[in-house]
Amino acid sequence: MEKTSTRFHDETRTTCFHCGELCDEEIILHDDKDFCCTGCKTVYDVLNENDLCDYYDISETPGSNQKKENSRFNRFDYLDDPEVLDKLVDFKDDKNIHVTFYVPLIHCASCIWLLENLHRLHEGIFYSRVDFINKKVQVKFSREKIGLKDLVSLMAGIGYEPQIQLSDMVHPKKPAVDRKLIYKLAVAGFCFGNMMFFSLPEYFSEAELLGDGFRELFHYLNVLLALPVVFYSATDYFRNAWMSLKNKSVSMEVPIALGISTLFLYSLYEIFVIGQEGYLDTMGGLLFFLLVGKWYQQKTFDTLSFDRDYTSYFPIAVSRMVKDREEVIPLTKIQVGDRISVRNEELVPADSLLLDEAALIDYSFVTGEEVPVRVQKGALVYAGGRLKGSSVQLLVQKSPSQGYLTDLWNQETFNKGDQEDSLASLATRISGKFTLTVLLIAFGALIYWSFYDLPMGVRAFTAVLIITCPCALAMSTPFTLGNVMRIFGKRGFFLKNSQVIEKLAMVDTLVFDKTGTLTSPSKAQIHYEGEALSEETLSVLKALVNHSIHPLSNRINRWLGDIPAARLERVEEVPGKGLKAIYKSQDVFLGAASISGMNDKTGSKSKGNKVHLLIEGVHLGTFYIESGMREGMAEMIQALDKSHYLHLLSGDQDHERPFLEEKFGPGMHMHFQQSPKDKLNQIHRLREEGKQVLMVGDGLNDSGALKAGQVGIAVTENISHFSPASDALLDGEKLRYLPAYLEFARLGRRIIKSSFGLSFTYNALGVFFAVQGLVSPVFCAILMPASSISVVLFTTLATNYFARQKGMNEKPTSGWK
Amino acid sequence: MEVIFVLIGVSLVMAGGFLWLFFKAVKSGQYDDHHTPAMRILFDQKAKNKTNKKTPKKTK
Amino acid sequence: MSGPLLEQFSYDNKIVKYFGAATIIWGITGMLIGVIAATQLFLPEANMGNPYTTFGRLRPLHTNAVIFAFVGNAIFAGVYYSMPRLLKAPMWNKTLSWFHFWGWQIIILSAVITLPLGLTSSKEYAELEWPIDIAITIVWVAFGANMIGTLIKRREKHMYVAIWFYLASFVTVAVLHIFNSLALPVSLFKSYSAYAGVQDALVQWWYGHNAVAFFLTTPFLGLMYYYLPKAANRPVYSYKLSIIHFWSLIFIYIWAGPHHLLYTALPEWAQVLGVAFSIMLIAPSWGGMVNGLLTLRGAWDKVRVDPVLKFMVVAVTAYGMATFEGPLLSLKNVNAIAHYTDWIVAHVHIGGLGWNGFLTFSMLYWLWPKMWRTNLYSVKLANTHFWLGTLGILFYALPMYVAALTQSLMWKEFGDAGRLAYPNFLETVIQIVPMYMLRAFGGLLYLSGAIIMVYNLVKTAAAGSFLEEEADEAPALAKHVSTKGEFWHRAWERKPVFFTILATVAILIGGVVEIIPTILIKSNVPTISSVEPYTPLELQGRDLYISNGCVGCHSQMIRPFRSETERYGEYSKAGEYVYDRPFLWGSKRTGPDLHRVGGKYPDSWHYHHMVDPRTMSPGSLMPPYPWMTTNLMDHSNIGAKIRTMQKLGVPYPEGYDEAAINDLNAQAESIVAGLKESGVEVLPESEIVALIAYLQRLGTDISKTTSSNP
Repeated sequence: MEKTSTRFHDETRTTCFHCGELCDEEIILHDDKDFCCTGCKTVYDVLNENDLCDYYDISETPGSNQKKENSRFNRFDYLDDPEVLDKLVDFKDDKNIHVTFYVPLIHCASCIWLLENLHRLHEGIFYSRVDFINKKVQVKFSREKIGLKDLVSLMAGIGYEPQIQLSDMVHPKKPAVDRKLIYKLAVAGFCFGNMMFFSLPEYFSEAELLGDGFRELFHYLNVLLALPVVFYSATDYFRNAWMSLKNKSVSMEVPIALGISTLFLYSLYEIFVIGQEGYLDTMGGLLFFLLVGKWYQQKTFDTLSFDRDYTSYFPIAVSRMVKDREEVIPLTKIQVGDRISVRNEELVPADSLLLDEAALIDYSFVTGEEVPVRVQKGALVYAGGRLKGSSVQLLVQKSPSQGYLTDLWNQETFNKGDQEDSLASLATRISGKFTLTVLLIAFGALIYWSFYDLPMGVRAFTAVLIITCPCALAMSTPFTLGNVMRIFGKRGFFLKNSQVIEKLAMVDTLVFDKTGTLTSPSKAQIHYEGEALSEETLSVLKALVNHSIHPLSNRINRWLGDIPAARLERVEEVPGKGLKAIYKSQDVFLGAASISGMNDKTGSKSKGNKVHLLIEGVHLGTFYIESGMREGMAEMIQALDKSHYLHLLSGDQDHERPFLEEKFGPGMHMHFQQSPKDKLNQIHRLREEGKQVLMVGDGLNDSGALKAGQVGIAVTENISHFSPASDALLDGEKLRYLPAYLEFARLGRRIIKSSFGLSFTYNALGVFFAVQGLVSPVFCAILMPASSISVVLFTTLATNYFARQKGMNEKPTSGWK
Repeated sequence: MEVIFVLIGVSLVMAGGFLWLFFKAVKSGQYDDHHTPAMRILFDQKAKNKTNKKTPKKTK
Repeated sequence: MSGPLLEQFSYDNKIVKYFGAATIIWGITGMLIGVIAATQLFLPEANMGNPYTTFGRLRPLHTNAVIFAFVGNAIFAGVYYSMPRLLKAPMWNKTLSWFHFWGWQIIILSAVITLPLGLTSSKEYAELEWPIDIAITIVWVAFGANMIGTLIKRREKHMYVAIWFYLASFVTVAVLHIFNSLALPVSLFKSYSAYAGVQDALVQWWYGHNAVAFFLTTPFLGLMYYYLPKAANRPVYSYKLSIIHFWSLIFIYIWAGPHHLLYTALPEWAQVLGVAFSIMLIAPSWGGMVNGLLTLRGAWDKVRVDPVLKFMVVAVTAYGMATFEGPLLSLKNVNAIAHYTDWIVAHVHIGGLGWNGFLTFSMLYWLWPKMWRTNLYSVKLANTHFWLGTLGILFYALPMYVAALTQSLMWKEFGDAGRLAYPNFLETVIQIVPMYMLRAFGGLLYLSGAIIMVYNLVKTAAAGSFLEEEADEAPALAKHVSTKGEFWHRAWERKPVFFTILATVAILIGGVVEIIPTILIKSNVPTISSVEPYTPLELQGRDLYISNGCVGCHSQMIRPFRSETERYGEYSKAGEYVYDRPFLWGSKRTGPDLHRVGGKYPDSWHYHHMVDPRTMSPGSLMPPYPWMTTNLMDHSNIGAKIRTMQKLGVPYPEGYDEAAINDLNAQAESIVAGLKESGVEVLPESEIVALIAYLQRLGTDISKTTSSNP
């Protein structure tokens, strides 16, 4: 391999050949190409050896950054466990295995090309196909030549590590995409198109048109083509209608089923008895448009289907101690009484007792409290806590499902019953009455006309049934909400289902969580006040903060940048207070004011946590660390203040209260030191006061609270990684548009109401004419699909128009990592 | 004008045949992924040219 | 898994090279004949005074050469290159490929021989006689079997949309060709169509429209979906749209064709359906155009520089224009103006020169450097070809639009006295002669561009080294081991040869079951009592009319417009064509309509007119047929002809096939005598006598009924 050297440039803009990011820390020159880290270089080497370098010229810098790869060697060991194998793979026989991985890093043509040429990286793999939209890759490999573990590590080696979720393990594979609907739609479309041709001559020229032989021919062909439509494409509607009738309720499908059967039977009557042309083509059209509506609705829900329960972000694998030998097993196999070992930065999978002397557990997941808690030997450690520092051994007390966190979640707040006044239920309720009235009117007309002129009676009867279109009611809600969801989806605001929009519109109280929601971890601002620090002091500081994993020291560490650390002895971390050490016989202290014995009121105006630096008792200066507020939060709060009551719940101490009050103004009621239970009760109190509560949070801890509110929005940085079971997912940067989203949701509701009005007037007019038999069934057969399409068009265009008006249409968040 | 029977018969048979083909295609999963094939056709020769230049292997 | 999982195979470029070369050669010949025919239309001397090169016989040669030879070979070259690469498997059987290649070239050669000799069935775009039709079917099925075989052996599970287009084209063209070529042979070189009159017209144009749709459009859409993304190196705009627009076209594929017969004797409801279907056709065809053009979104800078993309952009735009103009042309009121005029010719040539021509050129310019592993010899030459071609199309189409409108409006114009402003048809023709000259110039430009291409490609090939076999490797598709109790049909599907034979047998059975009733039961076309079958001499005259391609310039269908009934006489009824096998309605009126010419001029006028048209009507563009007075017709086969006609249901009296020769001679003698009085000496067996007999019979039956018939 050519020489590898590390060049130090700071100002040149060299970018990494592999991932295209700026080589800020170091630049590795290898094979006369620049790399930002050894990770990228190794991936390049792997590809180079296997003659796969076209990867780089299909699209430029296609790779993903390898800097922070936690290359712990045995993190894939659990894949060797046959049980895991069975759950994860699609197909397995004695010779080869087919498995489908979800690889979020697929983003360009090069990724597809590389992942489809895996067979050139390893002889065992013989087939790999990528599905770009769902970012999935299906790989087929022969068992003898390569195991699942080596395959996954191979893929991780080239920068495309598949993401394996516990949910894949616990729940069976999602059934194949529902093709039934596509078949029904194809049959309906085929028959409708062809029937139109056989019915066209009837529409056009009234003159004695058809040769005698052909009128019957075309009618019988129409009947022939109508059979598959009625007995195959329409089966769903008949089945649902039958089921709803069986349990005495009148669902939306009943009028549709009635309409279809009437059209079909009346057409048969017209064709076979009185030799007219019948309305089979209209029936075909009606069904085709209904199925298109259903397909459109299902498609929008599929793309947004997410409801990951808590299992999806517990670490999937745990290493269990068997006769002091570490063995990696899947989480679901832990029994009470197992001894497990947990490493730094790993989540404690289950409530367990600490076997080591002491451990530092960061409960930010659980309580939202950022400062870690020190736990002594024998004390209970709760599931969800993240271990800080060296690895410890624990004795499992409860299996994951009975853990402390899940108690919180399994409370009755979780299963939110559908509120009564949501529009979807309104539509189905109305349709019940609607059908009854329509039936009444239709039979009334029939009876009325039967005295004078029976054919006219039949005409009026079918006309009333056909022209009245329940589908406008059925279709306007899903289409509007589907469209609103699609627009939100484009802006990085993903809703679980369309009911969420209606609830969003009804919300009058907003409850915010501070950590991770209003503040963004990546934007913490630090500034230092005090004497200028010399090079030597900086290197001492660097050594000090290197030892501690406290978030505050992490931020200082990052602030210090890449400077060499000095040598210190007797470094000691006083948990929750600060760090002490000896440097050249001077004792150095970095930490909170209380321990350093100096008063806290230094009167400086900057806000946020204060960290003081003392050498030999002399106070050199203080670091002010403000938890970084997301931009645009202040304007957002002011905008929301006008229309909603605002509350802030936070697990932290209230040392940031002055800073927040000044930023958010008086309207915001703030409550600090809220444990998840307190937050839950807070929301219950608000709901008892009859408020419609919207909870905006992020952490696992407030997921219970998220469920408690009418609507729970989870703000996250990276949608695919962290998504608790809430009603909606919102991208961090998009939080400041919340007022616009709420306004838009209300708008959606108003559009639906107006579309109901439109549909009602249409039906009233239609019935008025149909009853008098003025409208021929053919004409109303055209009117009815036209009406539902006009309603659908009206709702879609209105939502798009208002979306543009509200400025929601700026660049959607496409490649959001 | 009874040639119409021929025309309608043939056309219906053919259209029906294509409907059956459509069903077979959907069932065999031809249209599960409707984006990647468009990119996949662009890949073929690039990597192979090197091997072709050196030794065009005589096969079969 | 036995052996390495990765299978080595290679793509055969040799067949592609041969088909490509054939495309170029036949392209040049076809265009050359086109230019000659164009010049003949304003310069009668260009007919070179012999029966083999007169316009009547050159026009079908031009259409067959350009459609089946140029476009045909281009499709096969494109398919034989793209299909193996899309399916990651070589073509199923090499011998079958070469059988297909040589078979197709032999068929073209046979056309180049038979058409100038006048051996034609006169059905537009299906002029070839029945033995060649059978050969076409066999070669076409061989092509299909080869494709289906490759499909079975493919290593790529997903069938790219281009493959679906190729398959749809194969299946539909096979069925169309079989039904339109149904004819009862009289001898090796003569056959009579199975259908008659109105029905023959409908079947012919059901085939005619779909020869355009499924031979010139869908395979080319398949080529576009492969070569455009490859040339622009960008994925197609929306793959989902390509799937939807393919299947929507295929599903409602019934009423194609009647829009060629608007305002003719075709029953009105069929015409109405034809119009509706054509309007509906806009959606699928524009789906293809939009998908093609939008693929270049963001690559327009490349289009400015790369000639291949320039050709493709103009090709796809021309496709969009032609497929929009087509449906508009099929609106009844527009059709009333455009039918039988040069507007149709313009529409055909925008599609032909623009879409088919340019896409083929772009494909060749892309393929040649790839197969010879070198760059194009000269990009500048390719650009000149592009500009010459584009100018050629403009010079072709615009004059034709002008000519069409001038002529059509002159036909329809009435003077203030309620009489036709231009009663003499010739006045309308002389008016547009300059347009024909411009059109010929346009054709010349297009041809010269093509010649430059030939030079460019030859030089490119000379510079590069041809890559005979292009190696490739791909993992085998999981062999579908037939499990016990598997659905029998699945097992059959995996045996390609067996399944293809089965499929063809099934289609034939279906076809026969439908055809026999139509031939046997009496046609329910409203018959007119006075219309009787042609006399033997008139039948011979009609066959002469067919073999000289008179249908190329003369129509035999008077439309129910006052301007036409004033000019020609009573409008044509469906019943008059009951014994016309094949129908001779024609699709272009370069010359006047002849359906009521019977008895309009004396025999001697016809005699002199045929010898030299300009003596009878000065300025006429009609080519002279002096040899008709001297050539003698061999009437020995009249018996066989009558027997075939009787088999097809024409009510000649029993045993008339023996007596036919005497009636023939008698009628010939009477014509000769008539001509003698007006001072013309001619032998009874000469061609002119039979022709005069036929011409004088045209359209006279209807007046024989009671005079009250309006």
